[in-house]
Amino acid sequence: MRIALLVVLTVALAGCATFEPPKPWERGNLARPEMQFDYDRLDAKTQQHIYTSKEAANGGYGVGGGGCGCN
Amino acid sequence: MAATDGKRKANRAGAEAGALLAAALALPGVMPADALAQSAPDKGIFELQYLSYRDWQPGRNRMTVDAPAFYALIPINDTWVVEGGMVYDAMSGASPLYFNVLSGASIYDYRTAGDVKVTKYFGDYSVSAGAFVSSEQDFLSRGGSVQVQIYSEDRNRTYTLGFAGTNDYINATNGVAPNSRRNSLEFVVGVTQALTANSIIQSNLTYYTGHGYYADPYKPLDTRPTTRNTFAWLTRYNLHFPEPDATLKLGYRLLFDSFGSTSNMVEAAWVQALPWGWSVTPGLRYYTQSAADFYMNPPFPKGFKEGQDYSADTRLAAFGAVTAGIIVGKTLPDGWSVALRADMYRQDPDWRLGGTGSPGIQTFSARWFQLDLTKTF
Repeated sequence: MRIALLVVLTVALAGCATFEPPKPWERGNLARPEMQFDYDRLDAKTQQHIYTSKEAANGGYGVGGGGCGCN
Repeated sequence: MAATDGKRKANRAGAEAGALLAAALALPGVMPADALAQSAPDKGIFELQYLSYRDWQPGRNRMTVDAPAFYALIPINDTWVVEGGMVYDAMSGASPLYFNVLSGASIYDYRTAGDVKVTKYFGDYSVSAGAFVSSEQDFLSRGGSVQVQIYSEDRNRTYTLGFAGTNDYINATNGVAPNSRRNSLEFVVGVTQALTANSIIQSNLTYYTGHGYYADPYKPLDTRPTTRNTFAWLTRYNLHFPEPDATLKLGYRLLFDSFGSTSNMVEAAWVQALPWGWSVTPGLRYYTQSAADFYMNPPFPKGFKEGQDYSADTRLAAFGAVTAGIIVGKTLPDGWSVALRADMYRQDPDWRLGGTGSPGIQTFSARWFQLDLTKTF
């Protein structure tokens, strides 16, 4: 898992290494649905709660979630 | 008597189904900030979804869930947005009493849930307020949330502050711990930053603290702490490649739980655009967790001591899990789009990283299909 963390951090830092915040006219690609983190909120909720029901970890994707007795 | 016992078992398993799987769809209070969503959306969304879920262990099927749901986002005007949804979960099957020992009766149960959120956009910030409710035969959850998003002057950074409170009411059909409650608070702080014209990163810290009844009333001898605190760090990163018109999505979550379990999750997806409005998104997810302090290995009830916390719930064991999935999407005329999602999931104690998995428990598998039909207007 340390390796996974390292990979994520490396990728993130690689992004930071080329840190050039876009100008307003350069945001076309950032506005694409797949570049949003939770564009399909219904799908995101469904996936998160499927995992919540079968793993000890619960949350991290934001607050408020309505309950279940899952864990 | 047999019928009564059977009904009791059915109720027990049914309620646990609610605990286990009913949650197939849930209610959002506050989700992390959407990248660059610094102004009210000018288009509405209406989405219908159907989930077909099934899980099993070696030699025996467990639960089946069918869950229709809908979600709508409606811009009222330039600064006000209302969104919300509902879900209905219908479940049947069998669930574990302890370790991999399943309840005998086949059951049927359901859950209904709904939520609503209102957002007001100001110049450099927005404020959202939400409410959610979830109802099962033996469980009622209600809560509310508030979220503030603050946008940087250049609109490339969004700060998110969120707060939610939830009250859960548990009234198990088997009479264990009648009229029990638990109350919890959640806090999130996060930042979303556009790094370049083709990359964006988001990092959130979430703290959860709760007090009340956390045990599973349908699992024999299950006794858990009456307080629970978790701390999660989630970081996600999206990188778009103009050629070949694809997007890499990465995510990592580290979560500490006062129950004693620590987990790591890493996921990756590749969104590949194709001609004629098609897209395909293969994805992989890996998850690993250590066991809760009070989880005891088989045989049941080894390790149980009166007056001390104890659980034989394999969800609190040490294991690893892998999900492989794919989404095939197609945009249609007049703002319509359709997507079909398929995922395959497996838990295995031998797949745990950073330590040994819990001994003596079986693998657990699940698969789910999901059909989404969306209209933007």
